[in-house]
Amino acid sequence: MMNSRHAALEFIILCFNFFTMKNLLPFLLLALVFGGCQKDELPSAKYSFVKPAHFPEPVYPLDRNPVTKEGFELGKKIFGDPILSRDGSVACNNCHVKGVAFADPQHPFSIGVDEREGLRNAPGIANMAFMKEFMWDGGVHHLDFAPPNAIENPLEMDEKMTHVLWKMNQHGSYPALFRKAFPDMGDTITSPYLLFALSQYQNMLVSATSKYDHYKLGDANLTANELEGLALFEQKCAACHSGILFTNQEYRNNGLDSEFADLGRGKITESPDDMGCFKVPSLRNVELTKPYMHNARFKTLEEVLDHYASGVKPSATLADELQQNGTLGIPLTPTEKARIIDFLKTLTDHEFIQDTRF
Amino acid sequence: MKKFLFLTTLFFSIALLSACKKDEEKATFGTFYLQFDNIVGDQDLTIADAASSDFKYTNSLDQNFNVSLLGYYITNIKLEGPNGEVFVDPVTTGAAAADVKGIYQVLESSTTSQTIGLSNVPSGKYDKVTFTLGIPADIVQEGATGGVLDPAEGAWLWNWDAGYIGFAFEGRSPASPVAASQWNPENSVQIHIGGWKDITDNPMMVNNVKTFTLDFGTSVSVSDKLEPKAHIEMDLLEVIDGHHGSADFTSTNQVHTPAGGTEFAENLHSAFVVDHVHQ
Ligand code: HEC
Ligand code: HEC
Repeated sequence: MMNSRHAALEFIILCFNFFTMKNLLPFLLLALVFGGCQKDELPSAKYSFVKPAHFPEPVYPLDRNPVTKEGFELGKKIFGDPILSRDGSVACNNCHVKGVAFADPQHPFSIGVDEREGLRNAPGIANMAFMKEFMWDGGVHHLDFAPPNAIENPLEMDEKMTHVLWKMNQHGSYPALFRKAFPDMGDTITSPYLLFALSQYQNMLVSATSKYDHYKLGDANLTANELEGLALFEQKCAACHSGILFTNQEYRNNGLDSEFADLGRGKITESPDDMGCFKVPSLRNVELTKPYMHNARFKTLEEVLDHYASGVKPSATLADELQQNGTLGIPLTPTEKARIIDFLKTLTDHEFIQDTRF
Repeated sequence: MKKFLFLTTLFFSIALLSACKKDEEKATFGTFYLQFDNIVGDQDLTIADAASSDFKYTNSLDQNFNVSLLGYYITNIKLEGPNGEVFVDPVTTGAAAADVKGIYQVLESSTTSQTIGLSNVPSGKYDKVTFTLGIPADIVQEGATGGVLDPAEGAWLWNWDAGYIGFAFEGRSPASPVAASQWNPENSVQIHIGGWKDITDNPMMVNNVKTFTLDFGTSVSVSDKLEPKAHIEMDLLEVIDGHHGSADFTSTNQVHTPAGGTEFAENLHSAFVVDHVHQ
């Protein structure tokens, strides 16, 4: 809705220009002809959600909360504002840092207010619009409901939604920014609009321009080593890290432990079959999102590959793929491990982490 | 030209006016009230201070307790009558509080929340009401919602297993061994019934959202002049001490998961009874 409204507005402005600035007409015409392919540079296109051609349809209901420039910018501001935490010390981007694809570059377990240590490693926030469920255990079924988790968790921001809204309504600039982003909102900022703004920002964080994507779209080549790694990956890893998002969005136990300090999916479903299972993470930008696994067990991709090859631990819920023919793990030679890592690095999206909009 | 315009306007105005008149003759509408009254066995339920040591109520295990918070969500209300009358209270959602309709949070602490006025009910006789207790999947899956579902305005949003608590009871009982903490007062009892997810092949993934029908035992008439009211009693003892399960506060005092709340959710139907209706 909003996007078409913006487009229409631009068209009207364009027409207006045509009729008023007659002397500029030839230039304008020229600009139109040559500038045709620069449409992307128009603000409305830059700040609307665009599904990459090789991606599935988004899961997020974008018609209910369409991305607009104002909503996106507001979401970005909030994402970086420690006003969301009890003592004004922690923002979303303390734990979700742009330079590392919105993961946590420093802390195995995330650090909240009063330096309190969390229970899990912060995952990267990319391609959220395409995810069915969120968090390592999938406890959250909608992107709108991810922020209250962080805001009200005593180990993260330890604040109350009610108080956050109170602070925002007192604030010098938020009320006006919200009214601009959400003209239907009325005078008081309420939490659905706060959550909408954060979702708009996060929905825009689409990572689809890695070397691998360019290869998929036919405008880049992978090296022989990378291609070898891709073939190995498809054979040995893609049962779980499948598709263009590199996750089947299921909950599996990949053999980190025999006994589970964290029940993972089992905490949500209370099913014995799900104890110690965690969401299969996307591997996009995985080179940047260390440490790895929900409990930050591994510091490097080499350690991860060593785990799959020779570190998998047995348990009642261990994934079948990791115990084929009575042997634990995935058989991998040192060369194969190296090739898979070569391939995983093609998933690093430099354009994404350098995107000035984010 | 002007004359023509005048004539057509006149024609349409008359057509419009007569259409309205016809409609009015055909159907009239009235308001139907549902009033919720919370009780504990044969006692009226009153809210105690969270730290209060005045334990007015007793369960079947002779454990005393009090109530500091009690409430529930009601939605998808439907009235039906003996002659095929049907009224469905429309449910709408959105970010703006004004867009959220047909979803009600009944709180013991708020008298106004205990009366639900259903407007635009077609004239006719009604003898039963059906409603959903808890917030069902279609609404939870919408995402951030305003009004009674706004977590900053007192909505009971479960964060870690996102969804809404459908029925909440909190209080204290000397039988509960819970020590004071940042979450709870000493001797705390908290029973939160939530869970809306149905996952195939996973019987443990509990859906505690219940829909049930209550008979009035008689029928009452709605018209533009008649505004009947149904008094519905909710007996807390039936919920926490009912047929399908009863809470021994020495061990069952903190219920905060879908599976933990199932037996109490099963009790909900029999906890709600239409005490009487008046015309
Ligand atoms: C103290 C560190 C910390 C802060 C602050 C924080 N997060 Fe997170 N975030 C995490 C951790 C840890 C997880 C994984 C939690 C889990 O799986 O239980 C996570 C998970 C998420 C996810 C789910 C990602 C996925 O792939 O499933 C989203 C979305 C998210 N955070 C958004 C936010 C937003 C928005 C904010 C600010 C309101 C925020 N986070 C603040 C640490 C943090
Ligand atoms: C049976 C399904 C399955 C297979 C097969 C599998 N993985 Fe995983 N992978 C997972 C799960 C589940 C996790 C998260 C586990 C956790 O944190 O507890 C994971 C985590 C990872 C991570 C950490 C990502 C992060 O952001 O923390 C990497 C890297 C990884 N896998 C690579 C691979 C590679 C390479 C292969 C093939 C050699 C592979 N996986 C095969 C299920 C699988």
